[in-house]
Amino acid sequence: MAGNQSNNFMRKAVLAVAGLVLFYLCLYWINTQWDAYKVRILNLCAIYIGITLGLNLCNGFAGQFSLGIAGFMAVGAYTTALLTMSPQIKRAVYFIEPLISPLNSIQWGFLPSLIVAGLVSGLVGFAVGAPAIRFRDDYLGISTLGFAEIIRVVFTNTTHITNGALGLKGIPPHTNLYWSWTFALLCVFVMVRLTNSSYGRALKAIRDDEVAAEAMGVNLFYHKCLAFVVSATMAGIGGGLLGNLITTIDPNMFRFPLTFTVLMMAVLGGLGSITGSVISATVITIAMEALRVLEEPRVVLGIFLPGIPGMRMVVFSIALMLVILFYPKGFMGDRELGLDSFRNLAARFRRTFSHKQV
Amino acid sequence: MSKNNDSVLVCENIGMQFGGLAAVRNFDISIPNRALYGLIGPNGAGKTTVFNIISGVLSPTAGRVKLFGEDITGLTPDEIAKRGVARTFQNIRLFRDLTVLDNVLVGHHLRRKATLGEALLALPRYRKEESGMMHTSRELLEAVGLKDVAHYRASALPYGQQRRLEIARALATKPKVLLLDEPAAGMNPAETEQLMQLILDIRDRFNLSILLIEHEMKVVMNICEHITVLDHGEIIAEGTPSEIQSNERVIKAYLGGGTIARH
Repeated sequence: MAGNQSNNFMRKAVLAVAGLVLFYLCLYWINTQWDAYKVRILNLCAIYIGITLGLNLCNGFAGQFSLGIAGFMAVGAYTTALLTMSPQIKRAVYFIEPLISPLNSIQWGFLPSLIVAGLVSGLVGFAVGAPAIRFRDDYLGISTLGFAEIIRVVFTNTTHITNGALGLKGIPPHTNLYWSWTFALLCVFVMVRLTNSSYGRALKAIRDDEVAAEAMGVNLFYHKCLAFVVSATMAGIGGGLLGNLITTIDPNMFRFPLTFTVLMMAVLGGLGSITGSVISATVITIAMEALRVLEEPRVVLGIFLPGIPGMRMVVFSIALMLVILFYPKGFMGDRELGLDSFRNLAARFRRTFSHKQV
Repeated sequence: MSKNNDSVLVCENIGMQFGGLAAVRNFDISIPNRALYGLIGPNGAGKTTVFNIISGVLSPTAGRVKLFGEDITGLTPDEIAKRGVARTFQNIRLFRDLTVLDNVLVGHHLRRKATLGEALLALPRYRKEESGMMHTSRELLEAVGLKDVAHYRASALPYGQQRRLEIARALATKPKVLLLDEPAAGMNPAETEQLMQLILDIRDRFNLSILLIEHEMKVVMNICEHITVLDHGEIIAEGTPSEIQSNERVIKAYLGGGTIARH
């Protein structure tokens, strides 16, 4: 029995390592063969996967309807940018008001900067979450949305730290496929482990019935804060990767539409489904780019159509309505797509097949 | 001021005032170890309010609640649950979207020793704890007769089974005192019969005290050793089932002046 179990564990470990090696080989191949545009979209996919998973933890698994994700992303993006930019570039960018010391003279590596970004946004997540989780449902949404706006306004006005509305330019483009997909994988790992653990069950219990969860000894404050902080940390690191991918950031990037985009990804995939978030974040990120065609002027059947900016959003809104109509809980609901479901599918196939033979 | 030291749960002079309405006044009860006490009374008598006070949902405006001599008045529900008071709800409150097994597993969460980090990395102590939880949860489900539906969604269970799942979930917290709020509500006679047996079994097997709110007189009179009757927030009678059955004030409160026959 014990030998069997360790055998099983060994097999799983070997499979996981083999899968990882294959995955990174694929990334290497893509990195060398694909053009920069496609690579960039893939980077965005990975970053949005991580951020969507974070939002899903808070909004989907723990049922705490938070709309502050853009604020946490801003904190992460600015932290990483300030830590990775070189002193020379900082001097050039901060031409209205110089950057305060010691930020103006430091330049860190990407990894420590991302870790600090995660910690800082996690801390902000706690500061925002701890008072806000006394609210429920829409009230929580409104208050967190307010906090995200506050963060943006503060960033616009603390010119000596964030360079205000001018934003930051010349952020070193550290983000590549390895960074972004490692981040996505780590987020998936944390989510899978967390949601299947005792802590994850407690979060789902809070979502389903707060009163009963508390009566069963689940500490509401601790667990809600847990969801908030983990979610904010993921958003912060994702924001950091995003900043160092597109190399310029300004406070207006982190307005509500950004939160809405991530929320849309989580809802379409299914609140409470990890695979749902992964699939829908990927599909929507790619669709965002693919549908740019709609906004370009072109000739259809001999008729000239002028480009309509914002057409993509119309398509997304219609898609969102259709999904809500036919899949009220998102594509995956709260189900998961894993090896087990393939196994079940195979078993069902076999059963139907053998029935037909008999 | 508990009279007997072996009392597990003691309520002293509890009062609950909602604005101008006194939902409960001068409520006293002292439940010994392994006792099965009943709390009855007409609708709106304040029974569930008493439960809410004991389990920490409400903080009483007067009086004290003591568990093993420790004052637990005003603690939050999760702290009280950790100290050993578990409850079920009058209007079933299961974790609807979780499986039956997961519902019971949530009940174990408060006794966890593994930290979040250990859970994330699946370290040995966490894995051991998890398999232990899984084992006891399955035992509990077997005890309440829900072993075969362990992987159903809780909301998919029929009413009677949902009630029993609530009991299993409460037992998972390893309580010393179990508060059952109308466990037989909505059950048919056969289910009620099973439930009575289940309650007695639980008391003996898990070595705990039970306080029971119930409208089904058959249940209360057959299994409770001691009954407290509430009416308009005040205790109007206390005693053994036979004493209560012959108590004038109780009959009056329940049936209205003088009538004995109900049907």
